[in-house]
Amino acid sequence: MRKVLAIIRREYVQGVRSKTFLLSTLLAPLLLVFLMIVPTMLMGLKTGGATRLAVVDETGRLYAQVHDSIMRPKTEETDPERKAEKQVRMQRDAEEQFQSRFDVTEVQPAGRPREEIRRELDRRVLARELDAYLILPADILERGRVELYMRNTGDVFSVGVIENRLSRAVIEQRMRDERIDERRVRELSREVRVESSRVTERGTERDSGSSQFFFAVGVGTFILVAVMMYGQAVLSAVVEEKTTRVVEVLFSSVRAFPLMLGKLVGVSLVALTQFVIWAVLLLVLALYGAVALAGVGVEVGLPSIPVSSYAYAVLFFMVGFFLYATLYAVIGSVVTSEKEASQIIVPVSFLPVLAIYLAFPVIRSPSSSFSVWVSMVPFFSPVTMLVRIVTERPPLWQIALSLFLGVATIVLMVWLAARIYRTGMLMYGKRATIPEILRWVRQP
Amino acid sequence: MSKEPATLRLDGVTKRFGDFTAVDALSLGARPGRIYGLLGPNGAGKTTTIRMIVGITAPDEGTVELFGRPLDSAAQDRIGYLPEERGLYKRMKVGEQLRFFGELKGMTAREADRAASRWLDRLKLSDRRDSRTETLSKGMQQKIQFIATVMHEPDLLILDELFSGLDPVNASLMEEVVLELKSAGRAIVFSTHMMEHAEKLCDDICLINRSRKVLEGSLREVRAGFGRNAVALRAEGTDGVLEDRSLVAAVKPSADRVEVLLAEGADSQTLLRRLIERGARVSMFEKVEPTLRDIFIAQVEEG
Repeated sequence: MRKVLAIIRREYVQGVRSKTFLLSTLLAPLLLVFLMIVPTMLMGLKTGGATRLAVVDETGRLYAQVHDSIMRPKTEETDPERKAEKQVRMQRDAEEQFQSRFDVTEVQPAGRPREEIRRELDRRVLARELDAYLILPADILERGRVELYMRNTGDVFSVGVIENRLSRAVIEQRMRDERIDERRVRELSREVRVESSRVTERGTERDSGSSQFFFAVGVGTFILVAVMMYGQAVLSAVVEEKTTRVVEVLFSSVRAFPLMLGKLVGVSLVALTQFVIWAVLLLVLALYGAVALAGVGVEVGLPSIPVSSYAYAVLFFMVGFFLYATLYAVIGSVVTSEKEASQIIVPVSFLPVLAIYLAFPVIRSPSSSFSVWVSMVPFFSPVTMLVRIVTERPPLWQIALSLFLGVATIVLMVWLAARIYRTGMLMYGKRATIPEILRWVRQP
Repeated sequence: MSKEPATLRLDGVTKRFGDFTAVDALSLGARPGRIYGLLGPNGAGKTTTIRMIVGITAPDEGTVELFGRPLDSAAQDRIGYLPEERGLYKRMKVGEQLRFFGELKGMTAREADRAASRWLDRLKLSDRRDSRTETLSKGMQQKIQFIATVMHEPDLLILDELFSGLDPVNASLMEEVVLELKSAGRAIVFSTHMMEHAEKLCDDICLINRSRKVLEGSLREVRAGFGRNAVALRAEGTDGVLEDRSLVAAVKPSADRVEVLLAEGADSQTLLRRLIERGARVSMFEKVEPTLRDIFIAQVEEG
């Protein structure tokens, strides 16, 4: 036992003290923030000045409307509840996201034929006095067609925005012509909102179903990320002694199973340390965010997920992480170098992705026999069983069986890795064939 | 100190890898206070034999007994094994590394630290305790690995190619330490293919070639059994004496002398008398004992 502890401690201390650990602990949250914020910022970024747009109004009565609509970004949201909700969810529409600014001027047709006007405007566009011009034909209200001429039609965002705002102006005009109160229409065409409640043994509870789904898939994604980050570390730890040839001394002191177990636990503790640091960081940020939002009058409630689900999430996360970590240990025991391992890793890394996709059919019918089976399969159960737990809680024996199968698979794989490792280390420089590996496993 | 007559006993040990027999019905034994040389050319089966002794692999046939019992993990802790392929954790500090290896042999961290600093002093490496292993020279790393092998005061030491990669100064330091351990009553198995080293250190030897034992016994016995009729000679004016095939079988010139292999039944005294009768000026005439190297080469080529 003391030997296993020594192995665990060595792996842990070496792991936590390494520069990689320090850097990834600090940089990963920054990177995440970067990836979340910067792309949206860049995509919405419009450099240079406002788009200079000339409007030729052949109807003779639409210009004022169009000018206002295009210059003014957006009609105000009247319903305050909705407004808040939209803000929280950051559901901004394209207009806000792609901050487009326009500078609209009118060109009076003054009886000139369209060709002449166009010739002049084309010249001004090419001379870069203008960026684009619109021709609103006389029959725009009936036919709803407008011609836009611009130097750079690649700016799809601006085209979209113009289309949107123009539509609004035209619709408003049409309503006015029909003597319909446009405000009233907007009020009447408010959408319906579904408020879902969950029926459970403990009675009904209000709940937006999506939170459960995101909860389960979130855990799945976290397993995936954890595996991608630490699978490689487990593998390196297993391969390390082979390349440094420390195995020879290790195996003359300790048996293969405790050795493999010690390495696995050591590396996993490094991973868990990092995750706990991140979790604490996230919690602090989330609390800060909630307080800040509360300060501006927005209530942020926790998704209504029972405490037991959080406990299960932690449990299944652990099982999932160890399952994949052990799988990487098995790979490490087969190969002679990390380079060689990279070919085998690719198909293996699809497994957790598959598990996450399986969450979709399972959440739609959590108690179908397909879902039951899929929640028993060790490499999928951490996600699929968790989805079932947060939706329609399955009977306890199913949860227990699923956990048992996961743990049993872990033990089996550690044993397998130990066997392969012990025999494989003695023949270095040569890649093992599958029949050879099977023979090593059977050997006493 | 163990009271058992034999620290280590191998009896009819055989190990096969597929169709290849790496070790064939090998029996040997090491006793306290003696150095047992396990000799043989590369690929003879030395390392496989050692791996069975330390418990890395199990023999297909035969038994390995340590301290009078079959090998178990308690016995493993009483072995110190220096493998031919040295291996240390490159990124670890020397002190931590030694603590880890000590713990693997059942020491507590404190015991291991104490033993480590004692040995680092002894091998003049105390200033390197906090250096990362990869910053050390190869010779220093060898010494660190040696400390990892002996720090838990094992009753059986297995040293595979101890001197490889050591400069003469460090080699003689090691030699001194090994002889100390021997006189402290440890049983030592010394494996090498460098006969000069074996000759200097070993009390008993076992020569294996192509998986089989070809020769065994104390160094003195083995040499005596190989009594070879040869003379090292430095002389001027030997005039045909050396061409006499009834007296001389072969002549092997080396730097400043010739080695004369006497014909069967011939006596070195006769050769000396004949040389003097011919008026040769003899500045050196010495009966040559066969070196382990000669025996080794003869045996290996014969096999």
